[in-house]
Amino acid sequence: MKKLKYILISFLMLAVLFAKAQTPKGSVLIKNATVLTITNGTLEETDVLVENGVIKSIGKNLTAANVQTIDAKGKYLMPGIIDAHSHVALDAVNEATAPITSEVRMADVVDPYDIGLYRALAGGVTISHAMHGSANAIGGQNITLKHRYGSGNPEDLFMKEAPRTIKFALGENPTRVHGRGNGNQPRSRMGVEAVIRNGFNEAIQYKKTWDTYNAALKQKGATPVPPKYDTRLQTLVDILDGKVIIHCHSYRADEIYALINTCRDFGITNIVFSHVNEGFKVAPELAAYTMGASVFADWWAYKFEVYYSTAYNAAILTENGVITSINSDSGELIRHLYHEAGKAQRYGQLDDEQTLALITINPAKQLGIADKVGSIEEGKQADLVIFEGHPLSVYAIPQMTFVDGVKYFDINEDDNDKRLRVSATDIIEPIFLKEHDHKCMHGVDFFFTNFGRNLFEHGH
Amino acid sequence: MNMHPKLKVFSSLLFICFFLSYNPLWAQSDPTGERRVTGTYAIKNATITTAPGKTVSGATILIKNGLIEAVGTNVRIPNEAQVIDGDSLFIYPGFIDGASSAGVTKPTDPERPSNFDPSNPPDENAGITPWRNVLDHFDFKNNQISDWRKSGFTIAQVIPDGGMLPGKAAIVVLGGNSSTNILAQNTSLGAKFRGVGGGRGSYPGTQLGIMAKFRDLYKNAEYSAQHQRLFASNSGLNRPEVNKTLEAFYPVIDKRIPIMFEVSNDLEIRRALSLQKENGFRLVLVGVTEADMVVNEIKAANAQVLMSMKLPDDKITKAKMDDLSDEIKARTKRAQDAYENNLKQAGILEKAEIPFGFTSVGGKSSDLMKNLKMMVENGLSENGALAALTINPANILGISKFAGTIEKGKLANMVIFTGPMLSEDAQVRHVVADGYIFDYEIKTKKAANGNGNGENGTANIAGDWEYTSDTPAGSSGGIMTIKKEGESYKGTITYANPAGSGTATSEMNNISISGNYLTFTFDVAAGGMSLEVTVSGDINDNQFSGNMSLADFGSYPLNATKKPNQSTR
Repeated sequence: MKKLKYILISFLMLAVLFAKAQTPKGSVLIKNATVLTITNGTLEETDVLVENGVIKSIGKNLTAANVQTIDAKGKYLMPGIIDAHSHVALDAVNEATAPITSEVRMADVVDPYDIGLYRALAGGVTISHAMHGSANAIGGQNITLKHRYGSGNPEDLFMKEAPRTIKFALGENPTRVHGRGNGNQPRSRMGVEAVIRNGFNEAIQYKKTWDTYNAALKQKGATPVPPKYDTRLQTLVDILDGKVIIHCHSYRADEIYALINTCRDFGITNIVFSHVNEGFKVAPELAAYTMGASVFADWWAYKFEVYYSTAYNAAILTENGVITSINSDSGELIRHLYHEAGKAQRYGQLDDEQTLALITINPAKQLGIADKVGSIEEGKQADLVIFEGHPLSVYAIPQMTFVDGVKYFDINEDDNDKRLRVSATDIIEPIFLKEHDHKCMHGVDFFFTNFGRNLFEHGH
Repeated sequence: MNMHPKLKVFSSLLFICFFLSYNPLWAQSDPTGERRVTGTYAIKNATITTAPGKTVSGATILIKNGLIEAVGTNVRIPNEAQVIDGDSLFIYPGFIDGASSAGVTKPTDPERPSNFDPSNPPDENAGITPWRNVLDHFDFKNNQISDWRKSGFTIAQVIPDGGMLPGKAAIVVLGGNSSTNILAQNTSLGAKFRGVGGGRGSYPGTQLGIMAKFRDLYKNAEYSAQHQRLFASNSGLNRPEVNKTLEAFYPVIDKRIPIMFEVSNDLEIRRALSLQKENGFRLVLVGVTEADMVVNEIKAANAQVLMSMKLPDDKITKAKMDDLSDEIKARTKRAQDAYENNLKQAGILEKAEIPFGFTSVGGKSSDLMKNLKMMVENGLSENGALAALTINPANILGISKFAGTIEKGKLANMVIFTGPMLSEDAQVRHVVADGYIFDYEIKTKKAANGNGNGENGTANIAGDWEYTSDTPAGSSGGIMTIKKEGESYKGTITYANPAGSGTATSEMNNISISGNYLTFTFDVAAGGMSLEVTVSGDINDNQFSGNMSLADFGSYPLNATKKPNQSTR
């Protein structure tokens, strides 16, 4: 009897713990909206029922008891926008001290209080890919965030179902930081490639050492000596084993093609290229060998390697079958990624569905989460945005943003002060005026105080 | 302050014989006159709080050779005891500082080797020195020690200064100068989220790198220990590579000592907790200020807490709201709420039943009682305040067998106030540490007239003051000129220019006078940075005597005399 009671109590406690570990899930019935499903066309005057954070049904005349109903007549409903390249809600961006820092994890430095999360929600963005900066050839492990703004616990923001990803970077940034800044490899694009190849080769040896040790452990009576543990190499092993998706900062066609070849040599297929300004030159290769390209709509010429660029890039890549997304890399652009997507349509004449895919299902594919988010389908997570006006119209205004069926932004409840944490001493807290600048090289410019600093003010 | 070397004639010849025959030290002469004649003291008829919530009045406490011999209302006072009349005194267990940087200097960074690789620096260049013993970088005679003792502290765990893993801590008693005063060494491993790499571009440079480096070191320390065990009990194995960084982790891995993680906000608390969860070490969070968001997590992890005794400056609660726009009004209100929430943190921890202690790191000894009272006004119980200064840190440091309460057999450590500890006018009269008695002068509120003080008993400070100050760098001095402007004061201070020859002048800031207690600050530019100097002390008959403290560098006496023949009204 006593035992039974004990077991019961344990179960109860487990249930409590389980409930506590859950992030909030909401239920809501959105009626009469123009539903932009992305994967299944546009549905006029349609209802979407969300139950416990998941899209339960899509159809006409849906009803549900005890569920909040929102009449969205005349409004557009689209899946939550996904930003495949962001640095919002991070306390640190670059561990810019070594050419390979695959051991560091952005999950360690997530700041859930960042007002940037709320601003992103106000722009309809429900998921961002919080990335390491581009100072190192192989940077840190990124974290995919769901914008569950309001919790003080960084883990509540983690999209735990998302696969692991890692930042790589090519070209001027790593060669400038480590080559010119510290006199280390890499000093040229050749050096960047060598650093990456050497890293993978070392990782292969590292894996072998541990495999040998683990095999020896299984022998009866064996007393093998444990090898040195190295998270840096272990992470590279995980990349080689296909457990981690590479997101690589890149601009020029030659460096992109070179890394494609490196990946092919090592049997790596999980790679997405970021920025990719010259991607249009290697579009067929990107389509054949990678998980796609995440680009800016029309941003270039902020440094030498980004002069050869075109606003038709996203359209050319899309038409060549490359999974293409448009990213922000910025706490400002993230507020209107639908405008950025609209630019790609303006220049490349993509249709609405192709264009909206650039900021929904395509970035979801690049992050390995397209089976869960990125479109309005039954069974998917209920990350949704209601727009006044078509989201690709220049007059579009997001009205409400939901993550897991929970409303985190409502334009009618948008008070002046949405900060979660405020200073106990200062009414006006310091504002970083350059916050909107691209943050890929965040924290790195102190390396260049001696020369040409202005040249480096922009640093994606 | 002076120790009790007061001569007392032994009334018992027998006792002299006892010492002559059994303690040869006492047989020698003492030309310095510093050695105390008796180690036996009795404080009679005092109000004694032996532990939080346990107070006896009219009680006597007997101290013998550094230990508490007896305490109660029925204590026989031996003849050799020096008796202190405790009629109006309130005795508490000596305060314990869970983590202190007093008297600790930061070791100089080693030279970078000629083949220095910033991506893979030697441990010592990367702030990774867990093998260091803080006592090698600790000066017991530093003024900060006597400052903290003056506010009631009798035991402190001193923690090393440095990078992400600065070294091992030690526990010292703030006793007499003739002893090493060490109670225990290598008592915990220090850890920080601040490295030395950031500003100098070497690994690890950010919290990203520090977290990753910590994990790798910990894991490799476990493997290294395993290797050593295997090597000791098997033949045919490669020898283990001895690595002092990894070996320094062994007592942490064996859970013999905890890691003292310095944290500056709730996110850093979470980061320390996640490292603990992954690796399973004992964790003490040092410098906690924002606990309300993480009390459940702290409890679940069974982590121990040393709260910062520092509180934010109140720049906000008296803001004039009338002329502000609605938006600024709302923002001001939020900042006020945030400020008040800061004051409530100690009470929140107490309610969550987390038995926290205090750390003095970053705090000022002169603010201790003021801040404690504010915490009590904002939800901390009086017993909780005392516990946080006594039994809680004793438990956290693992020294409750001999410290933390006033009981027979414990170390004679206590603080003796002129009133109940948290009452308005209570002042420290004596501190007993390791059986040594330290006396402090009581500041009485002077009458309004006849002593150079102005109306309402407030000293008139306007005028020119000539001051001198003694620092390790030598004696220096200058002129302070104070003028009254309306209800407040303005002034300037001159001093030897640290950046060259001649004198430099700075504005005096935050000049405040209450009764005869004067405080002000001024900024000194040195080596490209601005250093804030805080001066505080008492004015009596146109004489100022006090201390100046230079942030982390220590506190030094400063005395001034007001120049006569000046019209100062």
